[in-house]
Amino acid sequence: MVRILLDLVERVGAVAAGASVTVPLGDADPGIVADWCARTGNELLGVSGGVATVRRGRRPEPPEHLLPGTRVWLYTNFDCNLACDYCCVRSSPRTPRRALGADRVARLAREAAGAGAGELLLTGGEPFLLPDIADLAASCTAVLPTTLLTNAMLLRGRRLEALRRMDRDRLALQVSLDSATPDQHDRHRGAGSWQRAVTGIRTALAEGFRVRVAATLPAGHDGALAPFHAFLDELGIAREDQLVRTLARRGVAEAGVELTVDSLIPEITVTADGVYWHPVAADHDDQLVTTELFPLADAIARVRQRFAEYRARADEAAQWFPCA
Amino acid sequence: MTRPLLVGAVAYTPNVVPIWEGMRDYFADGPAEMDFVLFSNYGRQVEALLDGAIDIAWNTNLAWVRTVQRTGGACRALAMRDTDTVFRTVFVARAGSALGGLEKLRGKRLALGSKDSAQAAILPVYYLRRAGLGEDDVELVRINSDVGKHGDTGRSELDALRAVLEDRADAAAIGGNTWDAIGAGELMPGGFEAVWTSPPYSHCNFTALPALSDERARPWVEQLLAMDWDNPGHRRILELEGLRRWVPPQLDGYASLFEAVREQGIPARW
Repeated sequence: MVRILLDLVERVGAVAAGASVTVPLGDADPGIVADWCARTGNELLGVSGGVATVRRGRRPEPPEHLLPGTRVWLYTNFDCNLACDYCCVRSSPRTPRRALGADRVARLAREAAGAGAGELLLTGGEPFLLPDIADLAASCTAVLPTTLLTNAMLLRGRRLEALRRMDRDRLALQVSLDSATPDQHDRHRGAGSWQRAVTGIRTALAEGFRVRVAATLPAGHDGALAPFHAFLDELGIAREDQLVRTLARRGVAEAGVELTVDSLIPEITVTADGVYWHPVAADHDDQLVTTELFPLADAIARVRQRFAEYRARADEAAQWFPCA
Repeated sequence: MTRPLLVGAVAYTPNVVPIWEGMRDYFADGPAEMDFVLFSNYGRQVEALLDGAIDIAWNTNLAWVRTVQRTGGACRALAMRDTDTVFRTVFVARAGSALGGLEKLRGKRLALGSKDSAQAAILPVYYLRRAGLGEDDVELVRINSDVGKHGDTGRSELDALRAVLEDRADAAAIGGNTWDAIGAGELMPGGFEAVWTSPPYSHCNFTALPALSDERARPWVEQLLAMDWDNPGHRRILELEGLRRWVPPQLDGYASLFEAVREQGIPARW
């Protein structure tokens, strides 16, 4: 039985860190392989058919900035005053409201902070359709820096009052704007939407809020960026707050990049329906992690585990590719 | 521009590639840039050092002894791993063998690793002699399964342990690192037991010749000693190479091997 230890040392020692070997168990107890791996800093990948598979060394942790859970997205409602033709979560004025509600948002914010998140992001549909959006924002900014995504078209009357009640030091707005002139933006988002968005951006800036502007463009659309950045410079948007996102083929978008759980670095996303892998797929079952919102730490742990597995699989594939 | 220091190492495991690429990258950020060359055995590496093809050799203890012999003592050691200062040989037998102590090996069969392994062949014979046991007193079962690599692969030591399991030997002499790798008798208490452990001795070091000036060697050594276990980038390399920190050489720890090589007539090259 002790022979298994000699075989483990020899076979694992003969391969590079990160590579895997198989070792026949013979009459040895699989537990001894697990104990040996734990003691020597290797990883038992599994036991099947009397053979143990062992990876040399331990699976590396993803870099800290890629660790799922450092940012947590909350989909506050899903209904929207716009019906953009590429919306990744199919929001529109006809989309039924699926609201998290003030109590759940407050609890999620606290649990996200407790689980080590560094940032919260609130998104809709259009969050300013919610009458209690100021309360939602307040429960988030009370625990973490928060970004509120909006089309900025509704910042008048009681909604402007709601904005004014928000914490300017802890909350930034992220406004969707696709172009320096109305044509392209309005083509996808509706006539007149560009002008109202620009007006909203000016309002938010005048109210003393940090405003990021995010454009959603088809892949390979770099040529249109120079006038866009110049326009945003004029508006007073800092360069680091001028974001360009590539259109994803999700929701009602007919074209765009394909995004799957094993090609996306996850960002924990919570909706009224469950916890999802990434905000771009918060309306798609293929990226549903769990329907249990609480405790949020459990969902984060599950996403981290799956992400580590995908990374390890990708690393293994990368090891094989050059030889194939 | 000064050319990078060229460091030689022996390719005894696929991990030497990430180890030395990591080292090269680490030194690329400092004043003593380096590159590396891999050899298939220590004989070739020592020859390359003597020929001036490399500036520094990452040598085993036997390769150090041979370099000292070949240079008339003109070479110098620059640094070693912390683990190189406390290397030991362990004599291992089946649990319950009642072979406690070297004297109990009289009339028994002792499996040794490759003939050029200091820890598993040369020093074990030295320790037997110090215990008053000559070649007529203990039957030596020599297993030369990784000659050239000075026992680095551990292969011959594992084969020596298999000889014990298969009753071709009563005990085996192995390096402390191999003993730890199989769980030091703790993973399977009924399997093997250590019957004698040697005093500590020195193992590997970075060896240089006088042709490498102090002006060139010093910044490299200073940067080497500055590698930090708490820095994740450094730690990955340190873990692969089996140390927590690099330390100045402890040359006293080679005295037993010099004596053993002389007594046993180990040649300066083969």
